Amino acid sequence: MNAITPIEPGASVALGAPIDVTIENVQKAFGDTPALHGVSLDVKAGELVALLGPSGSGKTTLLRILAGLDAPTAGRVLFGGEDALGLRVQDRNVGFVFQHYALFRHMTVFDNIAFGLTVRARGERPAKAEIRKRVLHLLDLVQLSGLDKRYPSQLSGGQRQRVALARALAIEPRVLLLDEPFGALDAQVRKDLRRWLREIHDRTGHTTFFVTHDQEEALELADRVVVMSKGRIEQVGTPDEIYDAPASPFVFGFIGESSFLPVTVVDGAVQFDGAPLDLAALGTPSGPATLGFRPHDVTIVDDDQPALTGQIVAERRHGGARRLDVEVGPERHRVEIDMAVEHSRREGGMVAFRPHRWRIFAR
Amino acid sequence: MSDGAFTTARLPGASAIHFRPVTMERRRVRVALILVSLAFLALFLMMPLVAVFVEAFRGGLPAYWEAIFEPDAAAAIRLTLLVAAISVPCNLVFGLAASWAIAKFDFRGKSLLNTLIDLPFSVSPVIAGLIYVLLFGSQSLLGPWLKSEGIQVIFAVPGIVLATIFVTFPFVARELIPLMEQQGRGDEEAALSLGASGWQVFFRVTLPNVKWALLYGVLLCNARAMGEFGAVSVVSGHIRGLTNTMPLHVEILYNEYNFAAAFAVASLLALLALFTLVVKSVLEWRYAEEIAATRRH
Repeated sequence: MNAITPIEPGASVALGAPIDVTIENVQKAFGDTPALHGVSLDVKAGELVALLGPSGSGKTTLLRILAGLDAPTAGRVLFGGEDALGLRVQDRNVGFVFQHYALFRHMTVFDNIAFGLTVRARGERPAKAEIRKRVLHLLDLVQLSGLDKRYPSQLSGGQRQRVALARALAIEPRVLLLDEPFGALDAQVRKDLRRWLREIHDRTGHTTFFVTHDQEEALELADRVVVMSKGRIEQVGTPDEIYDAPASPFVFGFIGESSFLPVTVVDGAVQFDGAPLDLAALGTPSGPATLGFRPHDVTIVDDDQPALTGQIVAERRHGGARRLDVEVGPERHRVEIDMAVEHSRREGGMVAFRPHRWRIFAR
Repeated sequence: MSDGAFTTARLPGASAIHFRPVTMERRRVRVALILVSLAFLALFLMMPLVAVFVEAFRGGLPAYWEAIFEPDAAAAIRLTLLVAAISVPCNLVFGLAASWAIAKFDFRGKSLLNTLIDLPFSVSPVIAGLIYVLLFGSQSLLGPWLKSEGIQVIFAVPGIVLATIFVTFPFVARELIPLMEQQGRGDEEAALSLGASGWQVFFRVTLPNVKWALLYGVLLCNARAMGEFGAVSVVSGHIRGLTNTMPLHVEILYNEYNFAAAFAVASLLALLALFTLVVKSVLEWRYAEEIAATRRH
């Protein structure tokens, strides 16, 4: 009963396998303000790619350029090897899902989903019965069967976003683009929809881009994550690569909680404030560098082993651990470390610690 | 915690405390404020309105009908309807186009256009009329050419239509611009990405999103177009049976001490105003949910 029948291809759109997307040196400036400085990216057919970055990083601009809602100042975009920039947004055949849903409020759920089919020219428009079949199938796919006569204002946020996705899928897009699709939803709904979106993607297999500023969402959902900052791509990689081998302090800092210290690398070993730390920095050239570590990747040192020592300036409960703000070295660099709750160090006291996982970035 | 903790309100003495919302005034103040408002409304709105109808029917129903169906009055009514029938659709198209441009696109001179739309609100209607006399009258630059082509603008229907369009053109745009700006461009972008053409986007997404505001704007525009006096008075020339609209006809009758007839025609205009208000209220009541939905998602 619940078996999903494959969506039948439309009369006009030759929907075959999902397509590759190639972005070549795309630049965009709004007036004198640059938004993208030469972004290049190759995405394989059927991949689910997250564009991750803080606001102002250019991720939404890139998405809108792919959709045809904005035009780049320079560069090329290829859909399956064909130039896409020459096509108007209407002809590009992309499914776009907006953060604030952009559902047509005067239409029922059914009419919203059917919109992309009913606006087609007469010769290309599927028959009424065919449209109905497809809409009901999509409603089933997004698990909203029975709500076809509702208006958007009668739906919850999560339901609206699922309608928006069904509407985008109805035109059998070559590429699916989602702009912060879960940004306006509360935490629990976000989590559910995340898992659900992954399932839909695995079932329909569209080449998909989604924009987010939530690193957890990106790492959990995407096949590959593109980390962006200030109009540039900082790193492209699988979630594991991004988390375990961040290419820059920015990526390291954006992907999770982090602390940084200026250090010196001497012959593959790390020194802080002139003292060796017994941390390996293989492959990093000698000279000034940045040491990055996460608060929970820290061991408190009670013996005479080499360690970072500092004064505790603040202390607070953080989940299952105790979080300390520690000022280290003569320049009083502030770092955050976690400590087991049983430890009895207090504000004003001294603490010695050493990261057991760390990254060294040459400066 | 047991329910006992919440029984303190029933303790002796506690019942004397009356809580009222902090924004609610005392009863005496409330009554006084309501009475002042009612008195003001009665004095300045209800009494004149009642007076119009009392005066109109002073001579009895036959005199009333005669005043309305007398040829000059009938001509004035026809002219008023004609002027409204031309100027309201013009302003509907203009208002939609201007608000669409202002709300959905960025272009140079946008704020200038936005300011110009308000011009008729800030200019005295008499001056608006005079401008058209200066532009199209016989003493104007265009005057001789218009005369040689046999086109009469001033002291004729075209002038009245022009003056009415000028005076009423902010009504539709002012109603639509804030709503369209608040709705943003998301719906249009979604429709485009789904393959809709520009016209399809307009007729299937943009227009339905603003239809109630548009209807309000048209109602207000129509009421003003039929009631406009100042600008029309300057360009009309007051030719009985030819260039007199209803408000001008009322004035002429009044100046001739024909009070019963003046008030009879005036009562028609008052009825139009009441009709506009009723339609607006009925729409608001009947479609409250849908109207709220178009403003907010």
